[in-house]
Amino acid sequence: MPPRLPLGAHRALSSSPSVVRVHLQLQRRSASTSPASPEIYDVVCVGGGPAGLSLLTGLRASAITSGLKVALIEGQDLQKNKLHKDASLESFSNRCSSLTPASVKNLQEIGAWSHVNAARVQSYQEMQVWDGVSDARISFDWDSARPLLSARKPTQPTTIAYMIENVNTTTTLLSRLSALGGVDVFSPTKVESIELGNDTEKLDLSSWPILTLSNGKKLAARLLVGADGANSPVRTFAGIPSRGFDYNRHGVVASLKLEGPGWGGPDHKIAYQRFLPSGPLAMLPMPGHMATLVWSTTPERAATLKSLSSKDFIAMVNAGFRLSATDLEYLHTMTSGQEKEVAWREKHTPVNERSIPMKVVDVQEGSVASFPLKMRHADIYTGERVALVGDAAHTIHPLAGQGLNQGQGDAAALVRTISHAVQTGQDIGSVLALESYNSERYAENNAMLGVCDKLHRLYSVESGPIVGLRSLGLRAVNAMGPLKGFFMDRAAGRA
Amino acid sequence: MPSSSAPRALRATQRLTAQASYRPVVLSRTPRIPATTIAATVRLSSTQSSPHNPSRSSVDQTEVTHFNALASSWWDPHGPSRLLHLMNPLRHEFITRCRNSVPTPIPTSTTPSKFRYLDIGCGGGIFAESAARLPTTQSVTAIDPTPEVLKIADAHRRRDPTLLIDGRLTYLNQSIEDLALPTSPAEAYDVVTIFEVIEHVNAPGPFLEQVLQHVKPGGWLVLSTIARTWTSWVVTNVVAEDILGIVPKGTHDWEKYVNEKELRTWFAKRGWGSNGGMKTMGVMYVPGLGWKEVPGGEGWGNYFFGVRRDL
Repeated sequence: MPPRLPLGAHRALSSSPSVVRVHLQLQRRSASTSPASPEIYDVVCVGGGPAGLSLLTGLRASAITSGLKVALIEGQDLQKNKLHKDASLESFSNRCSSLTPASVKNLQEIGAWSHVNAARVQSYQEMQVWDGVSDARISFDWDSARPLLSARKPTQPTTIAYMIENVNTTTTLLSRLSALGGVDVFSPTKVESIELGNDTEKLDLSSWPILTLSNGKKLAARLLVGADGANSPVRTFAGIPSRGFDYNRHGVVASLKLEGPGWGGPDHKIAYQRFLPSGPLAMLPMPGHMATLVWSTTPERAATLKSLSSKDFIAMVNAGFRLSATDLEYLHTMTSGQEKEVAWREKHTPVNERSIPMKVVDVQEGSVASFPLKMRHADIYTGERVALVGDAAHTIHPLAGQGLNQGQGDAAALVRTISHAVQTGQDIGSVLALESYNSERYAENNAMLGVCDKLHRLYSVESGPIVGLRSLGLRAVNAMGPLKGFFMDRAAGRA
Repeated sequence: MPSSSAPRALRATQRLTAQASYRPVVLSRTPRIPATTIAATVRLSSTQSSPHNPSRSSVDQTEVTHFNALASSWWDPHGPSRLLHLMNPLRHEFITRCRNSVPTPIPTSTTPSKFRYLDIGCGGGIFAESAARLPTTQSVTAIDPTPEVLKIADAHRRRDPTLLIDGRLTYLNQSIEDLALPTSPAEAYDVVTIFEVIEHVNAPGPFLEQVLQHVKPGGWLVLSTIARTWTSWVVTNVVAEDILGIVPKGTHDWEKYVNEKELRTWFAKRGWGSNGGMKTMGVMYVPGLGWKEVPGGEGWGNYFFGVRRDL
């Protein structure tokens, strides 16, 4: 049974100390004079990212839940941040995600996937993962993951996952959502405060979150959905603790151009991930010659990488897939001149070029950025009239590319929970109605968080028996098709 | 049967039989049931006089006191009524199943497509509120003889503006005997529900006779209760109340349980539920999993029973 969230745990929220004062004044005023009564909504979603938008689209797309009155509050301007239809295919956002077939299936079911800018989505059919210390390697593709005695059926999928810019995902969902209509969108609008409503003679809103927006409007939420990111103000309001730690690692991202479309050609794209002691280095295919980089490393090295000239940065990325951990350690101590140093060292480090990504020839101007890696998990995803989805509920190490997919899974599960509640006349904000959402998602997300965390720890070890064991593990898994199939099913979100 | 339970169960049967033979208090509307009928059937036709309302109420004052005491925790999702809350979605699923078992008449201007509900023994309003929220509902009238739980129901309703829409949900502190009879079929109800009630009623026979009059021709009477078997005695009185403590002590009086077969016979005699208009669903609470449908469960545990009033 999930821990109970006492009503007393609700507390007023403010995003900054200056807002606290404003908020307190508001409270005092409302105590003396009768404030304008809030507008009543069934679902108020704070946060217009992929998870929040997917939730609202799911609710609007279903005949069962389309009768609900819903609102979206987003601090950014959703219209301004849309992807342009004719955006150049030579330029990609550095914020990309790997969408699993399960996530894509859900987007299809809610009618969104047909709105995607397909030219900017890149499916990949193979994954190459190797140990940066011992070079033990595992390759994933559906051909080698078949059952022992049967060939892969032609109807079976060949795609492991889809690389997509986050802005493409949100634009896709917004496009579907505007076609469906019926959402009161407040954007760009900030949430000034959230507090519980009053018990008046007529109506008792003492269990309802009342949101005061930066435009002065007040909304009462039967169900308040926190899709408002890792520092979720909704989670703070609900008094739900979120636990975890920082990895003391940063993820360096960049949009890159390679010398070609990849070793498998345009129809067989390959994702690469090399586990270095400082963290995994991943090169993920984008359309054409483009690729996106995620390099998890120490904050100091991330800072160095960001300070390099384009030429030195490109040299470092190429070196990251080719040179030894010791070489890389030295290269990170240099403030410039990596290009020449790498060229010289590569001559003395024989590699099978076809087993690693094609060489980077260009880095997109201004696309090198970094973000701190964290692991966070909320104690519970639901409270009275509150549900958390996406990063508000959990933050994961990006090494398996599961973050956005977990949020999509949350949104789909919450739509199912709300749908069942509507069909059986439950108050969709009640603790009881929301229980199934928490029980369905918590264990699954927790398992994924745990696996990715353990992988990170496993590959942070540079020497000793662990290196031998983990290499043995990789080789063994690589040799066993069915076991690999199981792992790939997990990665594809089919499990 | 555990040896400790035998004397109590035996006493119960003796008492029921004794009442039937010595005091066959039968209301004028209730047909006499032959004395040869098994003791269990007698239970449906017998009635006990209550010192507080001797004339006609089916309400047991001991039960009223018991539920008054439970009132404050009625809506606590982790409180003593948690099992009822968890069961509630199944009630709707069963009603839908009943309705779908016969072809729905095409709605015309005279037959509204929205339904009128009467919920008897509504308690804190768990079912009544949920029925009132359904988009297919026109109105819900919910009655209960226990004043304290109705106060809770009324207070809880104020937490949801949807339920305050005029005429959507009406609570009445009445017993079924006091509820005005419909003067025309249109005034009767499409769905009359009696959930977890008849096991708390003094005399289910006369009680059901009262209820029947409120069902619209073509409408459904839907109830849920517990079969009177040794398994249900152990489960509800010993396991649920004593061992697990998930049901408040003193909630159940096994002697009052009614079996599904008794209901079938009783309704068939009155010409109800012909052409497949009788439905049953056995259910069981599985800790950790919730309420699950158990085929055949009506023979030994909790069950739903639905019967259609012929057109």
